[in-house]
Amino acid sequence: MQPDKAIKTEAMQIDKAPSMGFADRLRVMRESQFGAFVPVLLALVAIWLYFGITEPVFLSPRNFYNLFMQSAVVGTIAVGITVVLLLGDIDLSAAATAGVAAALMAVLVTNVGLWGPVACIIAIFVGIIMGTTQGLLIAYIGIPSFVVTLAGNLGFQGLMLKILGIHGAINMRDPFVRGITTVTFPPFVGWILAAVFVVGFMYVSLRRQARRRASGLELDSSASLYGGIIFFSLLAFAAVWTLNSYRGVPLLVVLLIGMTALLSWVTTSTPFGRMLFAVGGNPESARRVGISVQRMRVAAFGLVGMMAAIGGIVGASRYASVSFNAFAGGPLLLEAIGAAVIGGTSLFGGRGSVWNAILGALVIGSLGNGLDLSGASAADKLMFSGAILLLAVAIDALSRSKEGASR
Amino acid sequence: MADRADKAVGPSAPPTTPHLVCRGVKKRFGGVEALRGVDFEVRRGEVMALVGDNGAGKSTLMKAIAGAYLADDGEFFLDGEPVTITTPFDAADLGIQIVYQDLALCENLDVAANMYLGTEPVQEGWHFLPRILRPLDDLLMEKKALAAIDRLKVRTLQSVRGKVGGLSGGQRQAIAIARAVGADSTVVLLDEPTAALGVAQTEQVLDVVRTLRDAGHAIVYISHNMADVFDISDRITVLRHGGNVAIYETAETTTDEIVVAMTRGLDKGANNAA
Ligand SMILES: Nc1ncnc2c1ncn2[C@@H]1O[C@H](COP(=O)(O)OP(=O)(O)OP(=O)(O)O)[C@@H](O)[C@H]1O
Ligand SMILES: [Mg+2]
Repeated sequence: MQPDKAIKTEAMQIDKAPSMGFADRLRVMRESQFGAFVPVLLALVAIWLYFGITEPVFLSPRNFYNLFMQSAVVGTIAVGITVVLLLGDIDLSAAATAGVAAALMAVLVTNVGLWGPVACIIAIFVGIIMGTTQGLLIAYIGIPSFVVTLAGNLGFQGLMLKILGIHGAINMRDPFVRGITTVTFPPFVGWILAAVFVVGFMYVSLRRQARRRASGLELDSSASLYGGIIFFSLLAFAAVWTLNSYRGVPLLVVLLIGMTALLSWVTTSTPFGRMLFAVGGNPESARRVGISVQRMRVAAFGLVGMMAAIGGIVGASRYASVSFNAFAGGPLLLEAIGAAVIGGTSLFGGRGSVWNAILGALVIGSLGNGLDLSGASAADKLMFSGAILLLAVAIDALSRSKEGASR
Repeated sequence: MADRADKAVGPSAPPTTPHLVCRGVKKRFGGVEALRGVDFEVRRGEVMALVGDNGAGKSTLMKAIAGAYLADDGEFFLDGEPVTITTPFDAADLGIQIVYQDLALCENLDVAANMYLGTEPVQEGWHFLPRILRPLDDLLMEKKALAAIDRLKVRTLQSVRGKVGGLSGGQRQAIAIARAVGADSTVVLLDEPTAALGVAQTEQVLDVVRTLRDAGHAIVYISHNMADVFDISDRITVLRHGGNVAIYETAETTTDEIVVAMTRGLDKGANNAA
């Protein structure tokens, strides 16, 4: 009797403590500077290890190269979607916007004969207008973003069909557009890029620490400072080494990292980014300190329109054609939203990072790629992706309800 | 305006003119008339308590003064000059700071970010960028936030880099107060600033209020705690059902009189100023 009871209470305690600790640790981890990276990074590593063991070809440089290229379209759109998710809104029209931009660009280049770069700029501009228009409807008429962008999705799909005409597909042979995804840098340029990145990262981190010390502020722990530097240096050189052993660092990867870095800077280190997070966290508080919630909405939807258009151009370049199915009929939209959410950006607004969208896109891309290699059916792939997405959203909801409980 | 103030507070009032005056402020929310033409005033170097039952319109009046709501009607004067307050920036430019009843903090942002929300300092240079795209000066923000919190002596708050979502109600209240008193201001509106605070922390806040008053700020203090109101205030404005009841000199009235005015208005024929 007696020992039984003792064991039981002990078991209950053990049962309770780790589960609390885990959710707590998850929340704390997600709040730290690079911490939100960790879960999705671990997921990525786990997927790579798993497929690396089951399908050795998965870890070959060639496959990594393809993986990066495949994930680029989803990643670009996911970065844009992250911006509206930060506001607590959603954009269901991003893939269709990408499709319209791609179709427009293709028509301008092949049928009108416009110079590639000009066509791209026009397409991006149109994407911004499409996003901004939806943002205006959401902000000033007060229609939920879900509804506006759902309508936008349908409308833009129709628009895309109109632009593509009866053929349903346009081939892309323009050297400039194709070059976006076919140009790779010679190996030494890759090494230089990695070195520049590492030196820049080190300079920024160390200078920041020195300035904090000079002003007598709380310092980042040396472990996280030097750990971060070492980790990102290794990552940069490993990535360059891998890509160099196949074709070299693709221009697209550099472009994507550059754009994401720029958006990351805008969303975390400028008053604009502050306002974005403030509106996502508590719109009423934001309004009361004088932030125009409406203008932030419009700006965010303009940004997602821009990123979607860029994603569309990247897609056109990558597939060497623009077809209705590649953008509208396909799973591009759900993969992009999934990538953002898997990356740890909250569907409830106010939390997330554009870098994580890239990682999320790699997770989705790796899953698809690995399942393809192991000969999984389309049915398996869909179910697998669904499960992963559900898991990511569950983690999001869990860490949010934890915050609510502490209130 | 001066004779109006004299009429309102009686001959014993100090010969100062009010710093901030509101006249005939009206605000309606759909069918609810939250403010039906309220007059209000506060002088520099005084604590004006604002009391009234739940739903009397106290917070609505404060929000109208702070620019969080646009009043449907009414006039505002600062040192006798008519001013327009349509946005929170207008109010801040006029030196009006507020601690909201619900604090208006963003839980997903850290303490320093909350304290400078909407007024973030940006780094020198970068003039080719619009202001909202220039890099934040987060070191300056942190330094100023630490200094402001130090002044409030919130010892339990260890770091200004923690997210507000992880803080206790009292700590949050302290941050909201630090945000308001850390900025340049001449008018500080405190909407139930001690509601979530313990005894010692409440005393701390009352001390801060006294310091601000002695420095010549005009303070509006809303509270349901009559002991605090009588402790800190120089005058008491009573609102009821979105209208004025009266203004009392704290030294010349009693808790009972105020409570009666709050709940039943002036049907007792008390010190009638309305
Ligand atoms: N945003 C709003 N929308 C609709 N009605 C509102 C709004 N804000 C206030 N009201 C109404 O206006 C009236 C006054 O509210 P207010 O918050 O000013 O009262 P209060 O005096 O601050 O009360 P309390 O002591 O409970 O804080 C109430 O009847 C309230 O229901
Ligand atoms: Mg109130």
